[in-house]
Amino acid sequence: MRENASQDSPTLMAETAAPDARWCSYFFLYDGSKVKEEGDPTRVGICYFYPRETPLEQQELLCGQLAGVCRCVSELSQSPVRLLRLRRRKFAICMRGDFLWALGCAVEIPDVSIYGFLEQLIGLFCFYNGPVRQSYQLRSQEELALQWGLYLSHLQGGATELHQIFSSLRTIDATRIDPLLLLKAALILQACQRCPLVLAGCILYRGRVVSTQMPPDLTAKVLVHETETHSQNLRHLSNGVTSPDSPPLSACVTSIPVYLTSSELHALRCPPVDWACRTHCLPQQANQTNKSRLLSRTLSDTPTPDPEGPNLDTTNRTPDSFQTMPCSSRSSLSDDVYFSPSPSANTVDPPCVLQSPSSADRPGSRVQGLANGTLLSGLQEGSGGQEQGEGISGVTYECGTGRKEEGENGGEYELQEGGHNGEGHDSGSLEEQGVCGEIGEAVNGSKAGPHGAEEQRSEAQPEKSEHEQPSSIDRKGGGGGEGEDRKEGQEAGREEDGGGGGAPGGQSEESQRGETIQEGRSETPTFMSALGTPEHPLVAMALYQHRVRGLVLALLVEPSFQSDAAAMEEVYHSSLASLNGLEAHLGNTAAGTAGPQGQYTFAHYDCVQNTLTTNLSGGPGGSFVRATSLLHSHFSQAVTLQEVIVRSAGTAVYGTRSIAQETYFMQQGATARNSGVPNPQDSAFSLPSKARHRLLKHGVNLL
Amino acid sequence: MNCETKVVNDELHRTIKVASRSGRARPPRTAMATKSSLLKVILLGDGGVGKSSLMNRYVTNKFDTHLFHTIGVEFLNKDLEVDGHLVTMQIWDTAGQERFRSLRTPFYRGSDCCLLTFSVDDSQSFHNLGNWKKEFIYYADVKEPESFPFVVLGNKLDVTERQVSAEDALQWCRENGDYPYYETSAKDATNVAAAFEEAVRRVLAMDERAEHLIPTDTVNLHRKPRSSATCC
Repeated sequence: MRENASQDSPTLMAETAAPDARWCSYFFLYDGSKVKEEGDPTRVGICYFYPRETPLEQQELLCGQLAGVCRCVSELSQSPVRLLRLRRRKFAICMRGDFLWALGCAVEIPDVSIYGFLEQLIGLFCFYNGPVRQSYQLRSQEELALQWGLYLSHLQGGATELHQIFSSLRTIDATRIDPLLLLKAALILQACQRCPLVLAGCILYRGRVVSTQMPPDLTAKVLVHETETHSQNLRHLSNGVTSPDSPPLSACVTSIPVYLTSSELHALRCPPVDWACRTHCLPQQANQTNKSRLLSRTLSDTPTPDPEGPNLDTTNRTPDSFQTMPCSSRSSLSDDVYFSPSPSANTVDPPCVLQSPSSADRPGSRVQGLANGTLLSGLQEGSGGQEQGEGISGVTYECGTGRKEEGENGGEYELQEGGHNGEGHDSGSLEEQGVCGEIGEAVNGSKAGPHGAEEQRSEAQPEKSEHEQPSSIDRKGGGGGEGEDRKEGQEAGREEDGGGGGAPGGQSEESQRGETIQEGRSETPTFMSALGTPEHPLVAMALYQHRVRGLVLALLVEPSFQSDAAAMEEVYHSSLASLNGLEAHLGNTAAGTAGPQGQYTFAHYDCVQNTLTTNLSGGPGGSFVRATSLLHSHFSQAVTLQEVIVRSAGTAVYGTRSIAQETYFMQQGATARNSGVPNPQDSAFSLPSKARHRLLKHGVNLL
Repeated sequence: MNCETKVVNDELHRTIKVASRSGRARPPRTAMATKSSLLKVILLGDGGVGKSSLMNRYVTNKFDTHLFHTIGVEFLNKDLEVDGHLVTMQIWDTAGQERFRSLRTPFYRGSDCCLLTFSVDDSQSFHNLGNWKKEFIYYADVKEPESFPFVVLGNKLDVTERQVSAEDALQWCRENGDYPYYETSAKDATNVAAAFEEAVRRVLAMDERAEHLIPTDTVNLHRKPRSSATCC
C-alpha cells in the first residue's frame, strides 16, 4: 500500500531488535455513513486519526483505501475483517455498521495483542463516553479526539512491553507487601458493598491494582481514570459531575458517569463471589450466553479452548473468552455493544419496544436468567434492579431492529434465525453478522445438546473439568451451557425457589431448553429480545473515586448514588479510616528495587485474572520478550499447543500454557552445546524441568 | 562565613529532628488559637475492646456493630478546640490481635499520646494493659516513659456484666504513673469525647513544659557542631 511508501517506517531489522515503543503507529475511526455519494470527500468520514499531525491527504488515502479493502473483503468473504497485513505493518480492524476502526502497528506484534489493544481502546472510549454514535452526535470531534488521544497514550504508556503483549493489568508487587494488606484492601471493598448502590470496586495504588472485585477488563478501564486524575490533577473532572459540596467529601472524591455493557453490568450484579471467578463471566460471553456463576465455581470451570483453528481475532485480555467462542460472532458481539446508537437515534429508528412482565421476579427460570443478563436497555439508568441485587423488574427494553442498513433483516427474522438455527449465523451476510452472531452465541450457550453430561460433570467436579473437556465441541457447548446451569444454580440459591429450572445440570441442555420455552411461554418475547438486543446495551452508571494520596478507591455505583448524599457519606466514612491506614502501610513498604536478575528470566501470565508475574524489570527484554511475543501469538492461534521451545543459536525459551496460564522461561547463559542440531545433551531440553523447579519459588506451579 | 551559616542551619535542623523524635518536645505549638497543629494519638489495647468503635464514635459519631477486625492500622483526623487551642487530632486505630503486631508497631513512632484501652467486661484485656504500655514504649522509642502522656480507657461501659471494677482500674492508673482514667461506651457515646479531649490536654500540657526545656536542649546540641566547624 502506498501509505507504507509515504511513511518512513523503520526497517524490519530495527523493529525486530527494538520494537517500537509506540505500539500504535496509526489509529483511526472512520464513519462510512458520512461518505455515501460519489462526491462525498473521504475526510468527512474521518472521525479521528492518529497521529494527529498526519497530513489530511494521507489520512484520506489511508482511510479510504483501508475502508475500501475492508468492505470489499468482508463482502466477498462474508465475514468481518479482523486483520490486514501489509508488508511492514498490520492493521487490526474492527467493523461495526458504518464505523470502522483500524489500528496499525509493526508486524512483529502478535495479532492477538494488537487486536486486544484495539478492543481495549474502543472499550475504553465507550466506557467513558457512551455509545460511539451518540458521542459524536453530542460532542465535538475535537473534544472526543482528546479522549481517543488520552486512551491511546494510556494504553501505550507505563506498562512494560510484556504487559502490552498480554494486555495484562498492572498489579502491585504482592511479593513485597504483607499479604494481610491485600486482605485489608479486599475488606474495604466488601465494606463498601454494604451500600446497595455500590456494585463493585477496586483499590489502586499508584496506577497499580491492589485489589479488585471487577472483571479484569473493567478494572483496566477504571485504571485509566485513576491514572488520569492522578497525573492531570482532576482535570478530567470537567467531564463529570463533581461530588456534592458537603465538606467532608472534598476534592479527594469524584464521581463521573460511565457506561457499562449490559453484560458487564450483569456480571457485577451477580452475587458477590470470588472475583477471580467472575472473570469467567466475561462480558462478551455473558452478553449472549448469560453466563452466571455458582458460588462454588472454581478455576477449572473455565471452558477449555475451542480448537476450531486459529483465533486471530481473539483478545488476549480475555483468553478464556475467546477460547469458548467462534471468532466472528464474538467480535460482532463486542462491536455491537459499542456501536449502539444513541437514544436520540431511537427516534429515527423506532425500535420495537417489548415489556417484560416482571420477568425478574420469576425464580429459577432460564428465561429470566437471560433477561437479567442482557435486557438492560440503552440508557435506562438505575433500572431499579439493584434492590434485588440483580433482578430487573419491569424493564423496558428494545429489540434489535432499528438499523437502517439492515433493513431486510428485521429483528424478528434475526431472532428466529438465531433461535432456531443458531449455527447458521456464520454464513450470514456481513450486515447480519452483528446481530446473528450474537444470537448464535446465545444459542450456543443455551442449546449445547449433547454436552449436558459434560457439564454436569464439570459442575459436580469442577476441579476436574479442565481435563475432561478436551474436545472442541464440548468446549463450545460446555462453555455456554455451564453458564446456563450456573445461572440456574445461582437463581435457585438466591431465591430458594429453584423450581424446574433450578435443577442444576440435572438434565441435558436440550431438554432444559425445551422446558424453558414451554415454561416461559409468556416470556418468549423476553427471551427473543434478550437475544436480539444489540442496539442498546450500554447502561449509564457512575464511577465513584476516593483518593488518599497515591491510593484510590474506585467504585462502580448506580447513577442514583451520585445524588444520594447519605449513601455517599456512608461509603466515604466507612472506608476513610481504612484507606488512610492502607495508604500508610503501602507508603511504608519500601519501594525496593528489583533484585539483580537471576540466572533465568520468566513471565507468568494468569489468563483468568489477567495478571502478569515476571522477574524482568522494565527495560528492553531483548530476545526473551521477542520469544514470548512469538509464543504467545502461537498459543493464541493453535489452541491445542501446550509446550514449545524456541531457540536461537545463543539461547532458548520454553513456553507452556494451560487453560488458566501461560508461562515463559529462559535460562541465562546458554551452554555451547546448543549447536542447533538435535542433541540429547542439548541444554534446551532441560528447560522444562528447570522451569518447574525454579518457578516454584515464585509461586508458579507447572507440575 | 558560609560555612558557619550552614552549621547553624544544621543545628537548627537537628534540634527539630531530635525534638520530634522524643515524641513530645516538638517545635512548640502556637499557644494562640491561630494555627492548627497536628497531634498524633494512638489507640492500643486487646482485640475487640472497641478501639475502632471509639474512633468512629468520636470522629463520625457513628457506631457499627459489624466492624471487621482492624488489619494493621487506620487513622482519622478530627479538628477540635481545647482550651483555646485549635488542634487536628490524628487518631490512629490499631489492630489488637497478636498476629497483626508486625503491621502496627512501625506506626507507634511519633505518637503524642497513647490511649490504653481495655474492655470493662474482659478482665484479660485489663491485665494486658501493662504489656501494651511496654510494647508502645519500646516501638515508639519513647525517651522518657515516665512523663509520656498515657490515658486509660475502660470501654463497653454499656455492658451490664463487668469484670473490671472502676477501683481496680483507677488503682492500676495510680500505680503506673497517675494516668487519667475514663470509662467510656462507644455504643452509647458515653465519655468518648471527654476522653479524647483529655488526651489533647495532656499533650498540650506536655508541650508547655517542653517549651521550657528546649533552650537547654539547644545549648547541648550547639556544642558539638561548633567544635567540628573549625575544620574549614
